[in-house]
Amino acid sequence: MWLFGGSSKKQEDNTVVASTPSSEFVSEKSNTPEITNSLQSSFPTIPTFDASKLHPLAGLDKELEYLELDDEKLSTIKGTGNGILPSRGWSDDLCYGTGTLYVSGLGLGGLIGFNEGLKNLPSGSIDHVTGVVKPAPFKLKLNTVLNQVTKHGPHIGNSAGVLGLLYNIIDSSLDAYRGQHDDLNSLLSGALAGAIFKSTSGIKAMGYSTGMMTLAAATWCGFKRLIN
Amino acid sequence: MSTPEADHSRDPCPIVILNDFGGAYAMGVIGGSIWHGIKGFRNSPYGERRIGALSAIKARAPVVGGNFGVWGGLFSFYDCSIKAIRKREDAWNAIIAGFCVGGSLAVRGGRKHMLNSAITCAIFLGILEGVGMMFQRYMAYANKPVPMPVPDQGAAPLGA
Repeated sequence: MWLFGGSSKKQEDNTVVASTPSSEFVSEKSNTPEITNSLQSSFPTIPTFDASKLHPLAGLDKELEYLELDDEKLSTIKGTGNGILPSRGWSDDLCYGTGTLYVSGLGLGGLIGFNEGLKNLPSGSIDHVTGVVKPAPFKLKLNTVLNQVTKHGPHIGNSAGVLGLLYNIIDSSLDAYRGQHDDLNSLLSGALAGAIFKSTSGIKAMGYSTGMMTLAAATWCGFKRLIN
Repeated sequence: MSTPEADHSRDPCPIVILNDFGGAYAMGVIGGSIWHGIKGFRNSPYGERRIGALSAIKARAPVVGGNFGVWGGLFSFYDCSIKAIRKREDAWNAIIAGFCVGGSLAVRGGRKHMLNSAITCAIFLGILEGVGMMFQRYMAYANKPVPMPVPDQGAAPLGA
């Protein structure tokens, strides 16, 4: 009956009155016309469709209904979740974190490569006999741009993906070890991920990379604070 | 997109693409580290085996991860798009998505190469889906409901 929204509450009240044990047979009999009256009067005045008045079970008043997960499947570590997506634990964090970083690295690298390709477009060839400049064919230009895109895109994407993978693995391990998810874990795992990422390039590069990743982790923590 | 056959163990469609990108990438990097670690170790001269393994991992594992990630992410993207267009979920979704992925990844190799690659990918996914379906049927057969034993009506009163 809750499909008809507004009328459901009135009806519930009536049934409660009708089924109270104290009501005698006579009073119950006298109640029935009222119920039918109220039902009849409520049916023609079915209100216009309003999602917020529906039964809460339908959950239609919420906007992004599909982003909700079963409660028992959610991560149990304290302070978990980033406020954007619900998390079911380390595998969700890992997949979404790595995937987001990888895809954004790929996109950024693709844009850089596109720019590089447009800068280095092949100039046309000069015919030595007549001296006329022949413009390079379109396919050659397209090939130059695509070469640059596929050179820079995967490079930056792979680096970002490896950083995200390391960060998320260390972060989840720290979460599980300490039993809570907080900014300290995030900063520490950022520093460790940066250090491991540049661990074969000498102390100086390692220091730079560690600092940059700690800064990035701090930015991420601040961003989470901001949106929550 | 909640068709009755929808798989609720996975996230809903637009967002699951990121998940698949990340999952496939992580799988590729970890698998590639093991693979190229062993390969680099074996192919290095004695005395440089560990550093050889490390440099092989550094050079190759992210590339393997990238290949896996792009494949998985593109597949998820096409799968979601096809689901949205066809409004149903069956084995053909995966096969068509595999066809599209194979074609997209070979897009720079020319038309013939694209078609070959697309058909190879579609056949591969068809086999995968077929094996999955066979497995599902076998599981259903193994766990099929057993009929209740019919009580022996003639003998019971006599025995009691």
